[in-house]
Amino acid sequence: MSARVFGVEVLDELRGIMREPTALFFSVVMPVGFFALFVSIFGQQSAGGVSGGTRMLATFGTFGVLSVTLMNPGIGVADDRERGWLRAKQVSAVPLGVTLAAKVAAALPYAVGVLLAMTVAAAATGSLDASLATLLRLGAVLMIGSLPFALLGMAIGFQAGANASAAILNAILMPSAIASGLWMPLEIMPDVIGRIAPFLPTYHLARLGLAQVNGGGVLEHVLVLLATTAVVAAIAAVSYRHARA
Amino acid sequence: MSTVLEVQGARHRYGATVALDGVDLAVEAGECVALLGPNGAGKTTLVNLAVGLLPVHEGRVRVAGGDPRIAATRRHLGVMQQSTGFPRTLKVGELVAGAAVRAGMRRSAAGQVMAEVGLTDLASRRAGKLSGGQRQRVALAMALVGDPALLILDEPTGGLDVSARRVFWQTLAQRRERGAGVLLTTHLIEESAAVAERVVVLHEGRVLAADRPDALVARLPERTVIARTNLDAQRLRALPGVVSVDTGSELVRLGTRSPEALLRVLLAEDPDLSDLRVEGARLEEAVMSLTDTATMEVTA
Ligand SMILES: Nc1ncnc2c1ncn2[C@@H]1O[C@H](COP(=O)(O)OP(=O)(O)OP(=O)(O)O)[C@@H](O)[C@H]1O
Ligand SMILES: [Mg+2]
Repeated sequence: MSARVFGVEVLDELRGIMREPTALFFSVVMPVGFFALFVSIFGQQSAGGVSGGTRMLATFGTFGVLSVTLMNPGIGVADDRERGWLRAKQVSAVPLGVTLAAKVAAALPYAVGVLLAMTVAAAATGSLDASLATLLRLGAVLMIGSLPFALLGMAIGFQAGANASAAILNAILMPSAIASGLWMPLEIMPDVIGRIAPFLPTYHLARLGLAQVNGGGVLEHVLVLLATTAVVAAIAAVSYRHARA
Repeated sequence: MSTVLEVQGARHRYGATVALDGVDLAVEAGECVALLGPNGAGKTTLVNLAVGLLPVHEGRVRVAGGDPRIAATRRHLGVMQQSTGFPRTLKVGELVAGAAVRAGMRRSAAGQVMAEVGLTDLASRRAGKLSGGQRQRVALAMALVGDPALLILDEPTGGLDVSARRVFWQTLAQRRERGAGVLLTTHLIEESAAVAERVVVLHEGRVLAADRPDALVARLPERTVIARTNLDAQRLRALPGVVSVDTGSELVRLGTRSPEALLRVLLAEDPDLSDLRVEGARLEEAVMSLTDTATMEVTA
């Protein structure tokens, strides 16, 4: 029964996104547009034997995946809650976790879409040099690694309204993106930012992504992301309980 | 007969506001219990405890023997909340089918329930384009589709027109014949009196009375003697045992606590007396009198 319920929940979420695509439009078009612009200017500059376009696919890709997975489930939860639809789910025989997991799952196809569009843009500007296996690995790492961010989005969605959640999540994502080197490499940024970056989970997700295309250690990044997941999951649980009581 | 809802000594407070102050209530299979009471009495709070939305701060709530805070227990529960919002973009058919699957039924169960509550023609309309009464019917269909042992309906008739209300009461009757217990809150007191076996009057978080509707009415000492008479208002007011006189219409209405004595005097005083009739109070008056008395006791 659970698989059927999950299927229905995901389908309902996808229907909602497809029938009213404006919200997602911005979280897809914005990162892809930025990427296309930057990759056409800097994509050819290679470093460490890897083209700029490929490296940017990892960093901008991190931003692109996060702009979907951080924002959409969280804003969706806030919207459902304001509408009274979340309460309808809460009194059903389905544990709320299924509903929340469906929200995250429904965001993933769009995150894949963002990555695909970016890959096409990089290829079109002739700055992509990664094997299919590498690209798939990068995609998988970014999707899985976005889980703590989806949880953070929902933790906020349990407390704030839909508009407020969108504002708060943007206020988290934009500075984190800059300070984690998702848009411009940390090397060309002021020193202080380079020192802040390791404290940001977004930085570690981008590094994990980069490690897929140009090698390098992953353990530290994986551990930081696991710890982040544990902390954010606890926050989300408290936030939910608070909203429920 | 099995008890589908059992509430014992339930207390719930919102900060300093005590919304429920030790409430006992039970609904048996096939029984309909109407929860009545003024705005703010605690009806929705009690409903929210019973459906597992709110924690019980003290006491015990059991639905079909289980804790409604546990998802699996709610398999036995069909709920209509005081207000439900649907995602704008989902269609009526999708909403009801989704509720069917969530309740462990096949999607196809939706068709029959939609026919039952008159939603078939609206199946492909988006929720954002429904009228208030149509949304109520969608909520009802979603509550019914799992074929629950207990229906909990918080002001289910709000926004329904006369014919939709008739359909609603018929639907409930059918479900009860099949064994479902019903707890509903409503401000349509007379309508609920016609269907409910038992009425529970809630006031400031306490149960003032729980009884059959006719028994509640019988508690009111007042009767109304209605007649066509030549006696004027002043004479009528002076008759023994008369507590109120209403000469507003062609027939006069005399409120009294001893209708038999009044009738004897009335017949003796006015030989032309006609169209004589004695009526009991209505449930609405009984409920009003209960809550008014409670309020007076509190303020006294
Ligand atoms: N979330 C809340 N926070 C604080 N107080 C609340 C909350 N919900 C309800 N109350 C208070 O608890 C009391 C009972 O409210 P409840 O909604 O249960 O009443 P009700 O009987 O359903 O009223 P109505 O007929 O208006 O629907 C009221 O005094 C109300 O103001
Ligand atoms: Mg209410």
